[in-house]
Amino acid sequence: MTVEDELEIMGQRLNEKIKNIFGRSLHIREVDAGSCNACEVEVTALSNPIYDIERFGIHIVASPRHADMLLVTGPVTRNMELALLKTYNATPEPKLVAAMGSCACNGGIFGDTYASGGGIDKFIPVDVYIPGCPPRPQAVIFGLMVAVDKLDQKIRKKEA
Amino acid sequence: MFEILRKTLKTGTVTTQYPNRPETAPEGFRGKPELFPEKCTYCGECVKACPPGVIWLNEDNDGKSLALSYCGCIFCGRCEEVCPSDAVKLTREYELASKTKDDLVTIIRRKI
Repeated sequence: MTVEDELEIMGQRLNEKIKNIFGRSLHIREVDAGSCNACEVEVTALSNPIYDIERFGIHIVASPRHADMLLVTGPVTRNMELALLKTYNATPEPKLVAAMGSCACNGGIFGDTYASGGGIDKFIPVDVYIPGCPPRPQAVIFGLMVAVDKLDQKIRKKEA
Repeated sequence: MFEILRKTLKTGTVTTQYPNRPETAPEGFRGKPELFPEKCTYCGECVKACPPGVIWLNEDNDGKSLALSYCGCIFCGRCEEVCPSDAVKLTREYELASKTKDDLVTIIRRKI
């Protein structure tokens, strides 16, 4: 099977998976934990007519209480640490966390310093890492596909 | 209003077919850095140049190894610039998302 075939099947399965797991759609809360705003620009681009993630039933919502998934950007600055933890605790189970961008993955260019936390996996458990500085909108869509697969496993583990 | 309708019809659909149809990044896009073990001399120039410090050089009794993590990589291309033997090249691949950090590390080795 070529990579193209694999991707085609993945795209079709994404919709089915979201329907099976969440009923209708995946709701994402985007958390800026001290990002430089480049990742936010790419997240905004996701809902423009060109990339249009709403066609998969993925919505970006305004409250963590409405969300199934947190899309965290930035290296977690000292000031945003508490806000991130509070947002994580406010999200209902089952929840997913995606680290978007190199800063969220392991600190990136900011590293692990006095004011920078050095990656969100030091504060909350991360399910999927999306590297890129910033990742292209297509790379984020790919990351979401990987994340949805992980949620399937999480639910099965709980049931077992 | 007719002007808006005319423009809408003229533009057509702009949405990409992305996950259903693979899309290549444009020319000059800096994506996943690739290491060529046969060219690498393990001189450590890329280790010094890497701004986030995600390239490591290890030396032990078995030989030398060079590890590169895409996790914190900012895709600046400095490693490609400074490499004297062209052993690093940035490709146009961008689908790097992974469930674990270990999947994002590539290691090349040379035995003595």
